[in-house]
Amino acid sequence: MRKWLALFMIVCFLFALVGCGDDAPPPAADDDENGDVVDEAELRVGMVTDAGTIDDKSFNQGTWEGVQMAARDFGLETRYLQPGGTTEADYITEIGNLVDAGFMFIVCPGFKFETAIYDVQDRYPDAKFVLIDGYPHAGDWDPVVKENVVSIFFTEHESGFLAGLATALQLGEGEVGFIGGMEIPPVQKFSWGFQQGVLYANENYDTNIVMQAENFIYEGTFENVAAGQQLAAAMFDKGVDAIFAAAGGVGIGAINEAKARAAAGEEVWIVGVDVDQYDEGIYETGKSIILTSAMKYIDVATYDMIQAELDGTFPGGEILTFNAGNYGIGIPRENPNLDPEVVELVDEAFKAMQDGTLVVSDEQGDLFR
Amino acid sequence: MEDLIYRLFPYAIAFTIPLLITSLGGLFSERSGVINIGLEGLMLMGMFVGAYTISQTEMHYPGTAVWIGLLAAMVFGAIFALLHAFACVTLNANQVISGIAINMIASAITVYLARFLTGSGNVQIIRGLSRYTIPYLSEIPVLGRLFFTQTYATTWFVLFILAASTFLLYKTRFGLRLRACGEHPHAADSAGVNVYLMRYAAVCISGACAGLGGATFIVTLSGEFNGTAAGLGFLALAALIFGQWKPWGILGATFFFGFASTIANVSQVVPELSQVPGIYLKTFPYVITLIALVLSSKSSQAPKAIGEPYDKGKR
Repeated sequence: MRKWLALFMIVCFLFALVGCGDDAPPPAADDDENGDVVDEAELRVGMVTDAGTIDDKSFNQGTWEGVQMAARDFGLETRYLQPGGTTEADYITEIGNLVDAGFMFIVCPGFKFETAIYDVQDRYPDAKFVLIDGYPHAGDWDPVVKENVVSIFFTEHESGFLAGLATALQLGEGEVGFIGGMEIPPVQKFSWGFQQGVLYANENYDTNIVMQAENFIYEGTFENVAAGQQLAAAMFDKGVDAIFAAAGGVGIGAINEAKARAAAGEEVWIVGVDVDQYDEGIYETGKSIILTSAMKYIDVATYDMIQAELDGTFPGGEILTFNAGNYGIGIPRENPNLDPEVVELVDEAFKAMQDGTLVVSDEQGDLFR
Repeated sequence: MEDLIYRLFPYAIAFTIPLLITSLGGLFSERSGVINIGLEGLMLMGMFVGAYTISQTEMHYPGTAVWIGLLAAMVFGAIFALLHAFACVTLNANQVISGIAINMIASAITVYLARFLTGSGNVQIIRGLSRYTIPYLSEIPVLGRLFFTQTYATTWFVLFILAASTFLLYKTRFGLRLRACGEHPHAADSAGVNVYLMRYAAVCISGACAGLGGATFIVTLSGEFNGTAAGLGFLALAALIFGQWKPWGILGATFFFGFASTIANVSQVVPELSQVPGIYLKTFPYVITLIALVLSSKSSQAPKAIGEPYDKGKR
């Protein structure tokens, strides 16, 4: 009797689950139409979002775009789930839901997944996991990457460097600031790289860009939009001309403030992060206040991993680094707000990074925090 | 230090206004005897409706879209509040539970609609309100710089509503009746006041105000609906109690919260404040509220009949 009841409950639960999933991502629906393009349709790719929504104009969205790109090219079924919270238990629940629904290739963007992946890599040995910006560990920072997991890191400092260099060259003279989200390694590296880029321009190209310690700060969250707006306002009031906002939703607030000021005739800039944020900064005149963006090609990395899995070359157990050398980072291909000469100089620096003549430090050293 | 206050003041006011109008909404409802802890949900509804309306109309009516959005948020806030009124007044339901239900429905339905209508969980607007400095008035020494520089039009609109509400509540027949329903509904009824109607009206006004508060937050501060009101509705509720259910009391209370939150938000870029650990500044307003509530609990000015469903037959 009890068994039947248990079975019944499980069936109900599964139905509820499938029901929930169906109305979640509208984009996922389109993929079915393309299902007949390629025969690899067996692979089902899932994603669990980090803090924020799937269209956060940064981290989650970048990852999801990579998944979608692969889905289009290879005719895969995809689905994402947004956890109710950002604890390890929330993540494990959603990963379990995806596995139960047959999604055996799961992409998890964000360092917050580290301990959750550590847990599920043993629990679901048949599933494959891609962990971006982190490596699995038991909470002791001791990496344990199993055969079904690949860890991906980006050289944010290199990306930040290029953005800093571009900003400094374009402004020529002025003051820059930085608003970070949480004070975690990827965000810190963005800041340190950005500062090195500005200093590099000051030394080598005769620019005169001022940086003050009090204008390099971390808001502490990735969600507090109002705080982002107020912080940006306070900085602009103090005479800062361009702010590098590596802060998710907090950055959206900063972008809003800059848009309002630009519309009123002030000349202020925001440097975007993770993805090309140019479109977020467009205000009435059709111009954008996004000077350039410090990008991590999360979409490309995600796409590559899915492709590797399909080719049977999934680099399980490895910790990969995407850097300038393998085109994992950079500024956008198109930068309407940058002069062509500036883009050229940034390209030079990019090439110098690739052949190793220009090395950007990922340590704080004597930079601001 | 002086310069710091001048600099932060406009931002503090901008942060205060959404809280103030939401809190004022709560005041209407609670003064008529209906607890409204659904302010958060009503605000969220206003945020969503405001952001969605603006995002849909700003292409066609660039200048007026913001105001259309604010109006739509008020209307939908009022309609949504009808649910609360129906449960609490007509069905005599527990007002606290109904309020919680409002909060839960709002957060679910807005995210669902946002995804359904725009295909994403966020609704962004291209253009919010811009700040402007009022000519002549801003030249008044001290006060001019504090109050008349960098202001939003909504600030003055909300302050006007505050003044009008004070007049409405204390100087008109409608206001007297509304307050009577919150203090002693049976006495009001015996004097010929329709308690049900008054409470319905009060809760609807409350919804309209909270909706306006949410939409104001969108057009002045955040610029995007992202599925959460970030606890502002509850902060407004706290301000209502802190302000002892009086219009000018809540003006003071919400300004206190607004100023303290602004300081906490921007403390890091202000050298004078960056020495203080952020955690102290962020918790400061809440700690003060707790202390103030403890001290004032003995002489609480809460409406006498608050939280009680009106039952005609009961004596």
